Amino acid sequence: MTVRVIDVRESVMARNNEIARSVRERIESEGVLALNLVSSPGAGKTTLLEKTLDALGDEMAIAIVTGDVQTQNDADRLARHTSSLVQAVVTGGACHLDALQVDKALEAIDLSRTDLLFIENVGNLVCPAAWDLGEHAKVVLFSVTEGEDKPLKYPRMFREARHAVMTKIDLLPYLPFDLPRAMGYAREVNPDLEILLTSATTGQGMDDWIAFLRREVSHRSNRPAPSLG
Amino acid sequence: MHEMSIALEVCRIAETRLTPEALPRLLTVGIVVGDDAGVEPSNLQFCLDALLAQPPFGGATAKIARQPGDELRVDYLEVDE
Repeated sequence: MTVRVIDVRESVMARNNEIARSVRERIESEGVLALNLVSSPGAGKTTLLEKTLDALGDEMAIAIVTGDVQTQNDADRLARHTSSLVQAVVTGGACHLDALQVDKALEAIDLSRTDLLFIENVGNLVCPAAWDLGEHAKVVLFSVTEGEDKPLKYPRMFREARHAVMTKIDLLPYLPFDLPRAMGYAREVNPDLEILLTSATTGQGMDDWIAFLRREVSHRSNRPAPSLG
Repeated sequence: MHEMSIALEVCRIAETRLTPEALPRLLTVGIVVGDDAGVEPSNLQFCLDALLAQPPFGGATAKIARQPGDELRVDYLEVDE
């Protein structure tokens, strides 16, 4: 038997990353800000988006691609807060969204009329960290009902994220959660991480989140600023 | 699952590097998995064993090499000429 060895040295992520680059070029050419929301299941991604649509929906055009392993429940919830199309991607068992799924979902979205694109990833702190979807930044949600050491347990996700949103802070009085310690762990993993403290239920900290989005959208937009009056 | 997505992509890369006639004669797929790649090697091995046992492949072996970092690549293919 003669064995021929073929040198390959090709990244397994190369094809995904190529599609992600194409997605990023499209959204950048349209002046759209794209944020990839990642978290463990139940951290409050959909609730944060519902409140965000309520606060900003009349001010800017927000499109959403939302991924779930099964069901379109999150898309149905979000659709009640916007007249824009909410694109549901049911991954059928896969634990993350990939760039091809986002690319296909964007076919139904008019990016030329979009200011802000949210990609709500599948709830999972491991796999989504590895997949570039063409977003400008990953935003990791971290709820106070989780352990303070989540950033140490899932360092890659907290390293990949540019922003962190601590959620459910209205529950802090009822939990033994040590907020300074949790924030310390997050900054230990990623010293540049911007951390916002929020409660979508009481509205605490939501002004900071909304101000952050306004600022980021205005930096990206190549269209005239929306009238706030 | 995550490792199945990775395994499918590994197989797709192998298919792009070989002619259809050569695929059943593929003997080995060498893969490098970094310690920080977010991939469980034993799960990936399980998925690749299952996929490489099915046509168009003919029972090739996946050999996973670990290394520091987050590298995840198909390193080489061995084919029976």
